[in-house]
Amino acid sequence: MNAVPDELRDPTPEVRPLPPEAYQRMTFTLRAGLFLALGILVGGLVAYLVIYPGATSGSVLSENPILSYLSLGGLVSGLASGSVEAYLTLGLVALIATPIVRVLTGFYYFRKAGEGAMTAITLGVFAMLLLGLLVIGPHVR
Amino acid sequence: MARLTPHVDLVVFVALLVLVAIAAGLVGSLTGLGGGVVVIPILVIFFGASIPIAIGTGFVTILATSSATGAAYVRDRLSDLRIGMFLEVVTVPGAILGATATVFLTHANLESALLIALGAVLLAIIPGSLSRRNIELPPPLPQDARSRRLGLTGVYHDNALGQDVSYRAARTTPALGVMFGAGMVSGMFGIGGGVFKVLALERFLNLPMKVATATSNFMIGVTAAAGAGVMLSAGYVNPVVAAPVAVGTAFGAYVGSRVLPGLRNRTVRLLFLPVIAALAIEVILRGFGLP
Repeated sequence: MNAVPDELRDPTPEVRPLPPEAYQRMTFTLRAGLFLALGILVGGLVAYLVIYPGATSGSVLSENPILSYLSLGGLVSGLASGSVEAYLTLGLVALIATPIVRVLTGFYYFRKAGEGAMTAITLGVFAMLLLGLLVIGPHVR
Repeated sequence: MARLTPHVDLVVFVALLVLVAIAAGLVGSLTGLGGGVVVIPILVIFFGASIPIAIGTGFVTILATSSATGAAYVRDRLSDLRIGMFLEVVTVPGAILGATATVFLTHANLESALLIALGAVLLAIIPGSLSRRNIELPPPLPQDARSRRLGLTGVYHDNALGQDVSYRAARTTPALGVMFGAGMVSGMFGIGGGVFKVLALERFLNLPMKVATATSNFMIGVTAAAGAGVMLSAGYVNPVVAAPVAVGTAFGAYVGSRVLPGLRNRTVRLLFLPVIAALAIEVILRGFGLP
């Protein structure tokens, strides 16, 4: 059996931790985002059940009720007019946005720490997430 | 498994979705495979949902459970944010590519092929979930140049061992390759792909088991956001289906991770994995047009 080289025995490699505040912010982002999103979705779902008492499983599965609200303009006008479908869309957007905000939080703290490579990586991940949501998804619809 | 009639009242339909999702969240957290591997096949087989709508719902399930169970990992600093963010560079494009492929396959009326592929992936991840190496602290490996440059090292306090544990990431190139594949599978089928992510984090980056699990959980949410973004924008996330499933699986996963920690072991996995295997086989049969 090969002996482990001395350099590998170092039990304390250089660690560049993010400040505790970064972890606290991310924990808060996760919890707040989840509760906000689930709150909007549950509220929207209850309202949907009240507004459409005759709806059946088949009618819901055969037609997605939020297709008119997938553009930013459609969503904003739907929210302004009190459309329950627009609020359901908002709940989904909030759920998807929660990890994206977490990435943005990482970007902020890496930039603050002056870590150029990690800042660029985090910004790249954020840009790709937006690309999928705002460009690729609508394009392939 | 019999299919639900399409004339079921919406209130009953939603209540059934919540109950199934709670059970899926429990099973998913106990087996370590996540709720999607149960919810997606049941949505297709029992509820009669189309495969893209089931996959879109799978993403919502992952987002809810990842946020519900992941906050504690981040708070306890078990999730390595630096390593997680570094690997997201490949899992996010992988997920976008996978979700885009699913949309194109749907448009090309190849949903049957998607069903068969989904069943095959579900069967493939079962042995992976049993083959966790269960080494708390792996022997050290040399840190490669990329890992050194990005500072892919960390330290956490291990309560069970009663000591601070430091680690450093090795072999980043093969890990990036596996992670791209994990992102594609996740994006294509709406499952978390945690089995593949943990594999890359443990076997290639050589991270301690707890850090690998927590970092995988951190990454799953971001990867799912990439896939969900494409599927939502493409019109394949139905909130009337997704909302009750998200609430149910998040609750089930929370209960599974908090109330029943003593049951999270290999024996429980062996009990539940045949159920997932049976669902996978039924999905494949549906893909071939068999009842």
